[in-house]
Amino acid sequence: MPRLAILVAVSAACLSMNAAYAQRSPAPENAEVYIIWPRNGTVVQGGKFWLRMGLRNMGVAPKGVERQNTGHHHVLIDTDLPAMDKEIPNDRNHLHFGAGETEARIELPPGKHTLQLLLGDHNHVPHDPPVMSKKITITVK
Amino acid sequence: MLVQMKADLGVRIMARTWAAAAIFVLSWSAALAGETPAAPHAYLYIGWPNDGEVVAAGKPFKVWFGLRDMGVAPKDVKLPNTGHHHLLIDTPLPPADKEIPSDRNHLHFGAGETETMIELPPGKHTLQLLMGDDKHIPHNPPIFSKKITITVK
Repeated sequence: MPRLAILVAVSAACLSMNAAYAQRSPAPENAEVYIIWPRNGTVVQGGKFWLRMGLRNMGVAPKGVERQNTGHHHVLIDTDLPAMDKEIPNDRNHLHFGAGETEARIELPPGKHTLQLLLGDHNHVPHDPPVMSKKITITVK
Repeated sequence: MLVQMKADLGVRIMARTWAAAAIFVLSWSAALAGETPAAPHAYLYIGWPNDGEVVAAGKPFKVWFGLRDMGVAPKDVKLPNTGHHHLLIDTPLPPADKEIPSDRNHLHFGAGETETMIELPPGKHTLQLLMGDDKHIPHNPPIFSKKITITVK
């Protein structure tokens, strides 16, 4: 009987652990998000540019849409990667594209800026493993 | 006086004809379009390859789908100002009020893909993008890209 109790306790623990992990959506191993434009090192005149977001081996779905192997784009501007097990912050440094956008008009002040893409699932939480682009640096003149 | 009356009548008849023609055209275009309204400034284009591009035969090349002022959603997802991509290969635009066919000339990207790899036999080929709504029916008005021609050799 104690054995059974232990078994029950262990399986309950496993289940709750699974549930905790389940909050992050799985991503295919070969999924790749990348910045099509601008390229690393680009000098942008005037401050406004179109950011083009590329995604391989995965699909785009707006926020709130729970579909396997999909997510929506977030661009991180002048900031490091956020926590991978939490909702991506929503502020001037973390722009959300929850309507399924794949391009965005961005305006930045003169100077050097970093851009990085991070895919979020239907709840804006990064996938497991996280799908993120290389961080690029551009200069606005 | 009589001439003036005749002229008035003429104008009136012409106006009526125009009105009838306008109503006809309006109802006709309504019948030939899907029910999902298009995003007002949506712009769809092929980001790569460029029009006139020559690509190498015998290996797949990337086609990336450009979309501005609209979002991508997988099939069966009904949200305003969204749709999913369809790539038309060597074919004219299909009827705007019906489901876009699904065959070798009409590739569906119902999982929300925004690029693809395709391989085509040597020769000239046309490529064009067309958005479809949650049920694969073009929007009203339909959102399609310029048709480009590439050469595979």
